[in-house]
Amino acid sequence: MDSLPLLSAILLSPVLGLGLILLVPGGAARLVRWISLVSATVASLLSIHLWHSYDTVAGGVQFVERLPWVEALGISYHLGVDGFGTILVMLNSIVYLTGVLTMWELTERVKGFFGFMLLLVVGVYGVFMSQDLFFFFFFYEIAVVPMYPLILIWGSGNRDYAAMKLMLFLLAGSALLFPALLTIYHSSGLGTFDMVLLSQHHFDPDLQIFLYPLIYLGFGVLAGMFPIHSWSPTGHVAAPSAVSMLHAGVLMKLGAFGILNVGIRLLPVGATYWAPTFAVLAAIGIVYGAFVAIRQADFKFVIGFSSVSHMGIVLLGLNLATLAQAGGDALNGAVFQMFAHGIMTALFFSTVGFIYDRAHSKTIADFGGLGAQMPRAVSIFIVAGLCGAGLPGLASFWAELLVFLAALKTYPVVGVVIIASLVLTAVYILRVFREAFFGEANPRWESLRDLDLVGWQLLPRAILVGVLLFFGFFPRALLDVIDSTTTTFLARFLVQ
Amino acid sequence: MDTTSLILATTFAPFVGFAVAMLFLHRSPRLAQAVVITGAAVALGSAVQLWLEGPVEPLRYLWFTSGAIELHFGFLLDGLNLMFGVVVALITLCVIVYSVGYMAQDPSNTRYFALLAFFEWAMLSFVYAVDLLQSFIFWELVGLASFFLIGFWYQKPSAAEAARKAFLMTRIGDVGLLIGVLVVMMTAGHFDIPGLLDPERGLIARVAPATLTAITLLIFVGIVGKSAQFPLHTWLPDAMEGPTPVSALLHSATMVAAGVFLMARLYPLFLAAETTRCIILVIATVTALLAATMAMVDRDIKKVLAYSSISQLGFMLMALAAGSLFAGVFHLITHAMFKALLFLCSGLFIHHFATNDLEQIGQAGGRRMKLTSIGLLVGGGALAGVPPLSGFFSKEEIFAALGHESGTVFTIAALAAAFLTAYYTFRMIFLIVLPARIEPAANSGGTDHGSAEPWTMVLPVAVLTVGAAVGGLWGHQIAAALNLQAPTHTLGSMLPALGVVVLGIALAWVDFGRGERVGFLSRLPALQTLFSNGWYIDTFYRAVFVRLTNWLASLLHGVEVKGLDGGFDQVGFGILRSADGSRSLQSGWVQFYGGCIVLVVGAIAVYVGMGG
Repeated sequence: MDSLPLLSAILLSPVLGLGLILLVPGGAARLVRWISLVSATVASLLSIHLWHSYDTVAGGVQFVERLPWVEALGISYHLGVDGFGTILVMLNSIVYLTGVLTMWELTERVKGFFGFMLLLVVGVYGVFMSQDLFFFFFFYEIAVVPMYPLILIWGSGNRDYAAMKLMLFLLAGSALLFPALLTIYHSSGLGTFDMVLLSQHHFDPDLQIFLYPLIYLGFGVLAGMFPIHSWSPTGHVAAPSAVSMLHAGVLMKLGAFGILNVGIRLLPVGATYWAPTFAVLAAIGIVYGAFVAIRQADFKFVIGFSSVSHMGIVLLGLNLATLAQAGGDALNGAVFQMFAHGIMTALFFSTVGFIYDRAHSKTIADFGGLGAQMPRAVSIFIVAGLCGAGLPGLASFWAELLVFLAALKTYPVVGVVIIASLVLTAVYILRVFREAFFGEANPRWESLRDLDLVGWQLLPRAILVGVLLFFGFFPRALLDVIDSTTTTFLARFLVQ
Repeated sequence: MDTTSLILATTFAPFVGFAVAMLFLHRSPRLAQAVVITGAAVALGSAVQLWLEGPVEPLRYLWFTSGAIELHFGFLLDGLNLMFGVVVALITLCVIVYSVGYMAQDPSNTRYFALLAFFEWAMLSFVYAVDLLQSFIFWELVGLASFFLIGFWYQKPSAAEAARKAFLMTRIGDVGLLIGVLVVMMTAGHFDIPGLLDPERGLIARVAPATLTAITLLIFVGIVGKSAQFPLHTWLPDAMEGPTPVSALLHSATMVAAGVFLMARLYPLFLAAETTRCIILVIATVTALLAATMAMVDRDIKKVLAYSSISQLGFMLMALAAGSLFAGVFHLITHAMFKALLFLCSGLFIHHFATNDLEQIGQAGGRRMKLTSIGLLVGGGALAGVPPLSGFFSKEEIFAALGHESGTVFTIAALAAAFLTAYYTFRMIFLIVLPARIEPAANSGGTDHGSAEPWTMVLPVAVLTVGAAVGGLWGHQIAAALNLQAPTHTLGSMLPALGVVVLGIALAWVDFGRGERVGFLSRLPALQTLFSNGWYIDTFYRAVFVRLTNWLASLLHGVEVKGLDGGFDQVGFGILRSADGSRSLQSGWVQFYGGCIVLVVGAIAVYVGMGG
């Protein structure tokens, strides 16, 4: 173990930031921003260090920290990351940092906003790092709850409705999860919440088959799983930019990570049993989301439904991973897609948020020829859009490629259908390009200012574009870390 | 310099040009042009040097591994790649230099030149790719570059529309190609092109004939999209919405050439798949004829050329399908020369007379632009297959190949298409150069000579004129590069090809050489309408596929709003209503927490009841 407790340090940076923000008077907006930025930067640098020092030869859970907490119940503060966690911690850091920068110009209740945002970030880090089921669920709820005030207070449009809807869906998911998790704890007979120990326990196959759908649906809600996704696009539309970024960028990944790290890891038999059903649902979600996105009038709804479609690729990959034919490609692709989609949607929402701040409209038909008035913002949106369309050179391509390959191997028909849905993706992305950015310039937006080259406006978007391009051309930097864990993860899986 | 540095210079010099221009030179377009031209010149120089040094072993670098997949990034340096790399680099350089004059007035100069460099980088990386997935990646990037260049004047609605159409139509093909590439991975376990083509350890030895047919057909779907074959050809005529030099590039050595090149690259696989070749032969023949009929009636010089490209690509694929790699590649290369030339000439006319209309160019004094007219004659002659210009030789090879391998039907169809080619090409030439009564042009400013155009535009035209004229002499070098014997032909075997050309030109002369200057088709109004509407193929697509997609999207949108989303809303409102009676707690969601507790306790109770 490193001399520095790296995971705790990453987790503590937003915790400390949050503590400091609470101490600062409400009027000191500038100070609040800087505290958030510094904590985000520290967390990001530490995450890069984590990614860099993760041992890809050894694989498995590393950087373990463990302190007993409630020994009677077998609860301990137990942190550790495998390759998947490492990648997702880094994702969270990037979205956190760029989210803070995206909200730099916020003037309304700055202290409260950044406070809740940091709380959310703490929760997300905690989920990705926890090796203790109790803390896993604890952090999970910490991550989910701040969404309600963040949308209700700082949102736009139909925000009361959206916040309520989101909360009800997510809590309904938790209502499925909580009994399932307690049952896992109880039925193992180990008297521990330690996920490493639980993952070595062979649960009764019938129980697994009973519990797995509860876990899958409970986490699936958050992952934007078809057909229980409808809270997600509504939530995106009402949320402020950085909240949409965190929501689509990392919160939806919490759901997928939960399925992977609790469902598949602890209940392999159940996962295999249900995989065909949920794989087909995921494939329907991919096509369905793409079709519905074609019809949307609002930028954020297009991205919201594209997220349903793209998260379908993650879910499909996770389900295929449990089937032997697919091999490691499915899991590699699913985790890669979690990362790539996280960065991509963060970029989408960051840029749409900017356009909305300037134009006070998110309706596609209001624009037209915006490319002439905001060339930089539009170019950046186009990069995100092309990433969504699965264009090579951007990170998503690799993720989709691996999942497509696994799908073709396992269910050829599903594979062909989802590859063909690439055309639909192109249809809705190109429609946005065509109607909002190309064509004759709308004189209404003549005075609109583009992203400033200096200052903070370009920086977060440039970071995200850079990340997409970097992993688009050097997928190895991510895949080696993921693959090291996939091998051990699936090896243990097949034995069971 | 060693091979590694040379190949890196060839492929990355354009990329450096692109990156530098795009990121730093927005305010200094002159400098951006200089950087991009330097990049293209370096690429050409090193491509030529590589070619002179001859074939060497492929270079491979590990890109990544995922489970069983091992992906390499590398360069395949055999005769075909080295030769075609030179053609790509040469034509791109010509087009870039030409653009300096053509785009002088455009405010978005930097973006334009950066995109050209990007285009060249993608195409060269595609050509030299050692790995099938690498090919696919750059194939897609070539498509992306085309998208941006076709839609370069994105504020023009027609250009934006054309760009979208090009992207979508080629994407449909790419779905097939991607599935094909993945099936190759599944059956062979790798993407390495030399490994796949290896006669002993490659795909042919490993997979069942049916699988091979499936793989080649899937790859061919991609080729249909990229090389604009029926039924995915409709994007190419619209693609002329881009600046004319872009069309020159798109129609000659890049974009559309990529499809034919891919087939040539994987030729042994296609050669072993008899059924696939039959299907290709049929589609290519239909395309060659269909597109030729459309070219006969269009008045827009660029559209005539676009249809001719589709038709000529059909010729190349016919040759490949008939079993002659040499004829296909030969025609690919000569066509690249003369089609680039024709587009650059048309650009000079359009630049000068500010119209695309054949008759208007002719009446405004097209023939007074001497050099351009010579270029048009040479390029058009090569396209029509007039000896001794390049196109005659390559087309002759195609007829020979068809005669050897496939039935008489295809030979006759090819001769018919060649006849139509001669007809529509000379229709274009006669309409431009023959009008005797020249109306004073509004904006020609009394320039009597093509030399009034900037040298940057004239020089590339001159270079390509020479290329298009003498390209036919390279047959032996091309055959040698492919390790093939160049067939020899007697005068007798050349007669049919010669005959249809003479007939075509004669008919064009009768129609457009004198008098009324109307085509014989004007006496057949039904055909005229059918041809000028592109056989209503686009109309059909709009009526069926576009409408179907929109209908499905609306349907599912309705399902979402009224069904899924609305359904959950109703559940929520129902709970709220039923909870109205016990509203002593303030808000709905606290109650929901209560509900959760009940559920949890219930679940535990049930479990304890069952398990205990």
